Amino acid sequence: MANAEFEKLKEALRKAPTEEARKEAAEAMRRYLATHSPKSKPTLVSLGYKKPYPTAVPLEEIPNEIERNPAFFEHLREIVEEG
Amino acid sequence: MLLSPLHDLPTRSASGFLIRYVLPRSAPPQLLGPADRRQPFQMLTMGDTIIGVGHGSPSEFCGHNDQVIMDTLSIPDVEGKVLILISCETAKELGPALINAGAASYIGFQEDLVWVMDADLASTPWADKKFAAPVMMPITNCVNTVLDGKTTGEAFAVLIENLAGNAELEEDDLIRSCINFNKKNAVLLGDPTARVRARPKITLPLPPPPIFFPIRR
Repeated sequence: MANAEFEKLKEALRKAPTEEARKEAAEAMRRYLATHSPKSKPTLVSLGYKKPYPTAVPLEEIPNEIERNPAFFEHLREIVEEG
Repeated sequence: MLLSPLHDLPTRSASGFLIRYVLPRSAPPQLLGPADRRQPFQMLTMGDTIIGVGHGSPSEFCGHNDQVIMDTLSIPDVEGKVLILISCETAKELGPALINAGAASYIGFQEDLVWVMDADLASTPWADKKFAAPVMMPITNCVNTVLDGKTTGEAFAVLIENLAGNAELEEDDLIRSCINFNKKNAVLLGDPTARVRARPKITLPLPPPPIFFPIRR
């Protein structure tokens, strides 16, 4: 069953990537991550080449990346839509 | 041919699973780490398979340190070969170009290949059972199905079924999203009845030694 905070993150990512929407999505991501207590260093990675976003982002850094990078906001939206 | 760059976290993670579960069965040449460069790749044309990890775009596929080793304008001899590119987006242009150049079959992805990995396990990426394995083991199983001598259509079915099964079992929403995203974007092109010579089933009794190549963050 989907985590309620993850559903809120999905909802926040559905908006256009304005500065306000990115801040809101970053907060939603922080709340989602707070439901985890990883002992290791989980990192979201991809094998993209010349992408306008990093190909390795530690999960704890995702909220900051959402806030500063509209391309990453949209990349994450495409992924979480499949959740 | 096996192509396994090791220069950053995503290549280290994906290559690690191939090194652990595919390398003992793959025929030479095996271009690992810094050896995964354009010149040897373009020169070495023997073998019936090309199995490669690497960063990719619609028209390009990269080796170690993101050197472009193949693109739609520089396709090596792929006549009759089976290619599996563990990479992003190559199914958009490079995959079709490979089939047009005579490849028997291609398996790859039309959007980003995404997963969560444990950066603390970068020197022993095959041990990342919690985060990376739900995406990487289905890919590894797909590759091994091809090396078992089964058709690429059967191997692709293994990939999709394994991803679907892992998505069903996965409790973490983000990891499940990544699995489903990759399942949606996996592509088989060319002849689904293509197959290559079956290799003996060889597994390493112990994990390989840790990888100590420097990693780019």
